Amino acid sequence: MFKQLKTITGGLLALCMPVTAMLATSQTAKAADPTEVRIMWYSDGIEGDVMRDLLDRFEKQNPDIKVTLDRVPYKTVVEQLPALLDSGQGPDLARVTDLGGLSRHYLDLRPHLKNAKYFDDNFASSLPWFRPVNGAKDGVYGVMTQLTLTLPLVNATLFQQAGIPMPGPKATWDDWAKASKAVADKVKAPYPIAFDRSGHRVSSLVLDMGGKFVDGDKPALIDDGFKAATKMLVDWHNNGTMSKALWGSVGGTTYRGATEEFANAQVVFYMSGNWQFTQFAKTVAKNFEWQAVPNPCGPGNCSGMPGGAGLVPIKTTKNPQAVARVVEYFASEPVYEEFHARTLFLPAHLGIAKKGINYQTDDANVKKSLAIAVDQVAQTSPVAFRLQGYEHNRILFNATISRVNQAISGEMSLDDAYTRIQADIVEGLAAKGIKLQ
Amino acid sequence: MASLTLDTITKSFGQVEILHGINLDIADGEFVVFVGPSGCGKSTLLRVIAGLELATSGTIAIDSEDVTHHSAAARGLAMVFQSYALYPHMSVYDNLAFGLENMRMPKDQIDQRVQTAATLLQIDKLLQRKPGQLSGGQRQRVAIGRAITRNPRIFLFDEPLSNLDAELRVQMRIELSKLHKDLKATMIYVTHDQVEAMTMADKIVVLRDGRIEQIGQPLDLYNHPANRFVAGFIGSPRMNFISARVTHCTAANVSVTAGGMQDTTLPLDGTGVRQGDTLSLGIRPEHLELDAAGDWTLTVDVVEQLGGTSFIHGTLPSGEALSIAVNGQTGVTHGQPIRIRPKPGMVHLFSTTEGEKALPPSPHRL
Amino acid sequence: MNPNAHPPSDSATPTAAQRFARGFELAYTGLMRALEPPFAAIQKRIGIKGMAYVFVAPNMIIFSVFVALPMILNIWYALTGSNRLMMEERPFVGLDNFSALLDCKDYLDVNSCKQDRFWRAVHNSVLFVALQVTAMVALSLVTALILNGKLRARGFFRAVFFFPVLLSPVVVALIWKWILQRDGLLNALLMAGGGERVAFLHDASWSFFWTVFVSVWAHMGFYALILLAGLQAIPADLYEAAEMDGTPKWRVFWRITVPLLLPTLLVVVILSLIRAVQAFDEIYVLTGGGPGTATQFIVQYIYETAFANQVHLLGLAAAASLLVAVVLMVLTVLQLRISYHGKTS
Repeated sequence: MFKQLKTITGGLLALCMPVTAMLATSQTAKAADPTEVRIMWYSDGIEGDVMRDLLDRFEKQNPDIKVTLDRVPYKTVVEQLPALLDSGQGPDLARVTDLGGLSRHYLDLRPHLKNAKYFDDNFASSLPWFRPVNGAKDGVYGVMTQLTLTLPLVNATLFQQAGIPMPGPKATWDDWAKASKAVADKVKAPYPIAFDRSGHRVSSLVLDMGGKFVDGDKPALIDDGFKAATKMLVDWHNNGTMSKALWGSVGGTTYRGATEEFANAQVVFYMSGNWQFTQFAKTVAKNFEWQAVPNPCGPGNCSGMPGGAGLVPIKTTKNPQAVARVVEYFASEPVYEEFHARTLFLPAHLGIAKKGINYQTDDANVKKSLAIAVDQVAQTSPVAFRLQGYEHNRILFNATISRVNQAISGEMSLDDAYTRIQADIVEGLAAKGIKLQ
Repeated sequence: MASLTLDTITKSFGQVEILHGINLDIADGEFVVFVGPSGCGKSTLLRVIAGLELATSGTIAIDSEDVTHHSAAARGLAMVFQSYALYPHMSVYDNLAFGLENMRMPKDQIDQRVQTAATLLQIDKLLQRKPGQLSGGQRQRVAIGRAITRNPRIFLFDEPLSNLDAELRVQMRIELSKLHKDLKATMIYVTHDQVEAMTMADKIVVLRDGRIEQIGQPLDLYNHPANRFVAGFIGSPRMNFISARVTHCTAANVSVTAGGMQDTTLPLDGTGVRQGDTLSLGIRPEHLELDAAGDWTLTVDVVEQLGGTSFIHGTLPSGEALSIAVNGQTGVTHGQPIRIRPKPGMVHLFSTTEGEKALPPSPHRL
Repeated sequence: MNPNAHPPSDSATPTAAQRFARGFELAYTGLMRALEPPFAAIQKRIGIKGMAYVFVAPNMIIFSVFVALPMILNIWYALTGSNRLMMEERPFVGLDNFSALLDCKDYLDVNSCKQDRFWRAVHNSVLFVALQVTAMVALSLVTALILNGKLRARGFFRAVFFFPVLLSPVVVALIWKWILQRDGLLNALLMAGGGERVAFLHDASWSFFWTVFVSVWAHMGFYALILLAGLQAIPADLYEAAEMDGTPKWRVFWRITVPLLLPTLLVVVILSLIRAVQAFDEIYVLTGGGPGTATQFIVQYIYETAFANQVHLLGLAAAASLLVAVVLMVLTVLQLRISYHGKTS
């Protein structure tokens, strides 16, 4: 009898899990050293180790502050951090990627900074991404830990083996699709084109096909560019340019990369981004030649989508001064430069970007790719930056990836998918208190 | 109706042999009771006959037809189980009809058979009930009815009355005997209760440790038990056994002394024994009587007064226990020494060697 | 002294087990002695009957905090809107979440529903439950019948069929993913045998089939065990009586085994039904609900709506979970009724 009761309540209980999670973490949050700063940090590669190393140095210079780096999986940042922030139990700082979506929880560091102008001068392009809608127009709500740019990674060895030349710098998406398919057919690779299963990656195709995403402060996703790009994806899946084995292996908005497949030389053209470089330096090593290539062109642009992760101060911190000191240390030119040189990340720091970074790598593939990536940042379309700065861009990304997938798997027509995307956006914004029209 | 012949039937479970070569003839229409203490193999023998177990060796013939390797169904027998084994989810009617449906008998014929059996057993009012709604005695009748409807060649009963209370058991005993007379069917009945055996059987088969000890009519077994085991098993209360010493023996008679009594001479064949041998003297409690001139002195330990009968339990001077049954009531009391004597011709002598066989009657007896 | 004499064991050095037992006994009696005065005092005040409440209290407190309270919270979430977690920030919206969920022009056409994902999940779950429960009951019955028979190494086979039940659902899913994926074991075997590669997890129909298959595989042992117990509870002499009655094997099965196993069978049906409605963990790991939404079931919908999607629609998810709870409640009542009937008859 009790067992049955448990089975019923089990489902209900699942909904209350964040509450218990909160109770659990609240204890750790109030360990009482007066100047402890806690950072919730996720890592794709080695950046956690580098950060810890840099923070050790900071602690030596600033014995009155102790910085705890809570390393968590990315999923925790996506799924649990929002609940912690809602309940006022967040850390002092967090490394996040949904810069706009969480912005109402950020603290404006400007009053606590020794040299706010340094931030204005060097982070001008990325500071707006952090600012909440009703926040200070000149607020410093965070600093990028890495700038990312979507761009394709190509297995050059497969092209050589197939005896097919790689399309040039201004090649179109069509050129790349045809060439990749031809190479894959010739060398029997199962995945001519692989995309990360992510709305953000799809958006860079939309961007190139002429999509505009937003109109003023309102989303305006479904336009000709969007339709052309999504139709392209469906066609590619139907004609074998893309394999259903990748996107079809999960559902909903679940992310699915193709890093393993790329490292196994099964992918010819992999639409991902520069954050994969360090990983492939390790997993591919010298097995084959790979490189980033410039973003293919469409009628709209030849641009990738910028993005990245930012270190954001949380409003509920009890030690804003200490937090500001940690952020200032991290953003200071030598530290910031070293962090990026070691992690092979693209810097959001305009001064450093202009000067160029001497990346600490011996890997020829990575070196070549970094050069392309740095060059591509400069060519990023303003539309892309605007979308990146749009507070609710995640709602667009998620609606896109889940619905387009349903169209690809044949559950609904593309036209139905467009209707559903629009409805999802309306629903998501409504939950955040924003009424369209 | 049918006869049954068992020829050197053995049955083993793995390494353990349960039946050691059973030979038995059962005539058509006979009511045969297998009796013996628990573990003697009587139920196993019944199941071998039924076909629920296959004999390890030997042959079984029904009406001279070898059925040793036939399935239970093909032998055409019916069995009444100790637990009744009624199908709990079926009505009484369906329980009775189930076996007939298996034979694909026409519905009206089934109905007729069921009604006949139900009327015979007085369960015709219960046909729509489920077994769970019946009393123990009613279930018993249904179980018997299920056997009757199939009109079997032989009825097999496996301790069918052991789950009933004493009163009902007596009643069912009489009814079963009556049923046997009405149906004139061959019936094999297994019980550990010698009273059931004595009251119902045409022929009793006494089993012990997988062997037949004796086969015979009830009174034959009572009067002439072949060995000490049968003597002790048949008859209630149990036969007294006291140690006896041969004082004189010839082919015509045997004299023994036992329990301090004078020499008693019995008309038995004494060729198998010698003077001075120790034998076992058996005397049933009802064959001892109080007699002031009796040879045996008994010190009374317990007196049980049942009104119509009294049992006196006492000790002989040799220290051996002895029980007496006397008709009517008795004035004998605890601790009192009494003198008793056996009724003439009612004393049995058993060898104390292997088999504990009864001494055979004298060939010179008139 | 005789060197061969064995000293009595209790005068020898105690073994570790004995020392543990002695220590445990000391600790236990010590604890009991320490607890006695306060409890005696309580009992003096509230009487011996009241003590029952004292002893039940810890459990009731845990139950109310971790079961009863979340249930009430869930109802409140279902009646409020927005993506906020904290109660005071959530506006009351009445039955809006429920009407949004139930807003359909045609309940059979998911595309006509406002919450098409919910209805896709419902449709998938209904189909899944129907197929999975049928397969589960049929296969576990067959397994139980085989295991109940005279079988060589019966104990071994019973263990083999029960083993998957002991595995964590995630492990089950990973094992099968490893077998079924594009470069998995099964495709390797198929291609070694000269066959074509099959998209076992990326084709909607295949992938649905495998969710049913894997969940049956993982849980069948449990139900087979219940049915086996049910089979063994049927008295052997009924089968002997049927044998004497000359009953054909199939008739024994349909007329004796099935009717007498029916109460157990119904318990198995209801239990597997409830579990099938709740199906989530194995499938989430195996297919992630894909391809598209082909294997997305109701619990995954609730999970994703509440937690995984960027905008946490907690109210909608809470409302959906309440609807599922109602369905499960009906099924549970049904099961209790049936097992109650089984006991009385």
